[in-house]
Amino acid sequence: MRRERKWAKLSILSLVMVVILSACGGTQSGSGTDASSGSGDNVKITFLNSKTEINSQLEQAAKDFQTDNPNITVEIVPVGNGQSPFEKASALYASGNPTTMMMLDTGDVEKFKDRVLDLTSEKWMKDAVENSTAATTFDGKNYAFPLSIEGYGFIYNQKVLDEAVGGTFDPQTVQTTAQLNELFQKIAATGKSPLIVSPMDWSLGAHYLALAYGGQSPDRAKVDQFILDLKAGTVDLASNAVFNGLMDTFDLMKANNIDKASPLSGTYERGPEVLGKGEVGIWFQGNWAWPQIDSFDTADGQYGFLPVPVSNNPDDFGNKQISAAVSKRILIDKEKNTPAQQEAAKKFLDWIVYESKGQDFLVNQASIIPAFSNITLEPADPLGKSISDYIKAGNIEESMSTLPADHWSKLGASMQKYLADVIDRDALAKEIQSYWTNVK
Amino acid sequence: MLTEKGLWARLRTRLIFTGPTLFAFGTVMIIPFLYGIYLTFTNWDGIAVEQSLVGWDNYIGVFKDTVFWKSFVMTLEYVFITVVLTNAVAFLLAYAVTRGIKAQGLFRAGFFLPNLVGGIVLGFIWQFIFNQVFVFAGQKMNLPLFQASWLADPDKAFWALVIVTVWQYAGYMMVIYIAGLMNVPKDVMEAASIDGASNRRMLGRIVLPLMVPSFIVCIFLSLQRGFMVYDLNVSLTSGGPFKSTEMVSMHVYEQAFLARDYGLGQAEAFVLFILVATITLLQVYFSKKLEVEA
Repeated sequence: MRRERKWAKLSILSLVMVVILSACGGTQSGSGTDASSGSGDNVKITFLNSKTEINSQLEQAAKDFQTDNPNITVEIVPVGNGQSPFEKASALYASGNPTTMMMLDTGDVEKFKDRVLDLTSEKWMKDAVENSTAATTFDGKNYAFPLSIEGYGFIYNQKVLDEAVGGTFDPQTVQTTAQLNELFQKIAATGKSPLIVSPMDWSLGAHYLALAYGGQSPDRAKVDQFILDLKAGTVDLASNAVFNGLMDTFDLMKANNIDKASPLSGTYERGPEVLGKGEVGIWFQGNWAWPQIDSFDTADGQYGFLPVPVSNNPDDFGNKQISAAVSKRILIDKEKNTPAQQEAAKKFLDWIVYESKGQDFLVNQASIIPAFSNITLEPADPLGKSISDYIKAGNIEESMSTLPADHWSKLGASMQKYLADVIDRDALAKEIQSYWTNVK
Repeated sequence: MLTEKGLWARLRTRLIFTGPTLFAFGTVMIIPFLYGIYLTFTNWDGIAVEQSLVGWDNYIGVFKDTVFWKSFVMTLEYVFITVVLTNAVAFLLAYAVTRGIKAQGLFRAGFFLPNLVGGIVLGFIWQFIFNQVFVFAGQKMNLPLFQASWLADPDKAFWALVIVTVWQYAGYMMVIYIAGLMNVPKDVMEAASIDGASNRRMLGRIVLPLMVPSFIVCIFLSLQRGFMVYDLNVSLTSGGPFKSTEMVSMHVYEQAFLARDYGLGQAEAFVLFILVATITLLQVYFSKKLEVEA
């Protein structure tokens, strides 16, 4: 009797254990069936989105795509705010659960090239604009879909500047540091603050400081050589004309900053608010900020870009150009996703480039400047339009999109120190040089 | 305890009871830990398909990484301050809410509440408070201390982290102290009060010595949490301004995932593990000696 009871207990316990263990295993086999279901009717693909500002538009696009392709479900996986897309994508790979499509920055693509599909033979390759896939092509194979062209510079509020100059402001009139200073004085005279400097490390490090590299020469090979020289430690930044010119402009920005009293306390969200409401005339940022500016807009959508001048000679390179390049790329995983899922992902990319709904999403809904010449839709937002104008006029300085991964964070911190007057220009130049000579 | 005869029978019973836990412990703790140690000897960047062994290079790299040691020293300061403050505040709160004051249950719940909010959310809430609420109040009421955001100043940002940490953990530690206070034998207290001991004397000579086990637990917990602080660091200051409040966990994470040097990051994590394990074990070992029997 006693023995029997004990056996009953033991068998119940072992049953519990089996249930627990099989539950552990169950999740794994669950995801396995998830992947293999691709061979059937319904395919579910996932998309890692690192442009958080277009997340809702992208979700809508996923729904529209599903209406056109009822057997494909696209699930959008956002990258957290402030998290880098590389970080998220590599974590997903480490956990054996990569998304079907990943939206990454240009510089990340090379690291992933062994794990993603070769897209060289895709239909959209022939419609991609010049140079848009050069940075993601290795050994003659292109691994990424160029999603968006983005540009940055000084965004101005037309209404504020009209009032400052007493008439219609013409962006052509600002091509030197002195002219920019004059404009700042005029804005200040109307009782407003000339500009806001947003102190985020990515904005100061990856965007503003990167102008010092890209502005060295219109010839890309010379820029690349400059980076190599920085790594080799043979560049003396403190005596470099472009760097000094850029920092002269930065000094002007510091002096006219609305947040001068506490330059590091600003947040990204504050930028579009003060610019849109017309409390400042200018904000150093890129066209991705349009949706946020739009929500505060008081200037009837009249905004545009000014270049960041680096000298007092209007003919110097950089004084008429704004920085732009293909910024975001889409990669398709080939390791954990089934061929059916990969096909579905390719279909989604084709849908964006060739279907009217896809193009509408890209240009009108997400305010993206497409990197495809077959898309004739004009950007509806003023910032995209302004960049398109610069592109058409040939006034583009190609953005530095392949800087080392921690460049924005480390040198962004150095720029923040300079912004807050913790270090002077010599010390800043030293920090930049020491970063480059130590970077792997 | 095991009554079964024979090795197989004993093993079977053992496996039934401890097997699931051992399995879980092995798969989520031991194997990743060992694999992590292996990775410290490679030059893996976090994503590449191939990796090659580089010997002790990464450990040499840890000792050369001055930023790692700078943030480790800062983390030590942070840990020291938060451990002292958290436990002092927690004990005072516990003492206050066991005195039989009105609505003390409500107070207990209230002080405990911050623990129920995750570190990330909490960081964002406090970021808003430091950036907006305090600055607004400071400007309206002309308080120089609050006129600029605390998070924009390296020293004040550090104290902002301390304040939020203490606020978050004091309630949790308070619960442990309450349990400790309740366990002080009533008869000993009664005997002391009959002997004419004052409240202060009873606290110093009876309550505190009897509560040493609670102190050991709470100091251990707050030490460990202090060293491992990451979520709050990321969401409240993100290491800023200009990396001045980057605690050591955050530095390790950035080394591995942002600088894409997984091997070095993992080696730093391992060195950190050794250091923190040593400190906490020493703390437990020495404070055990203070324990007394009632």
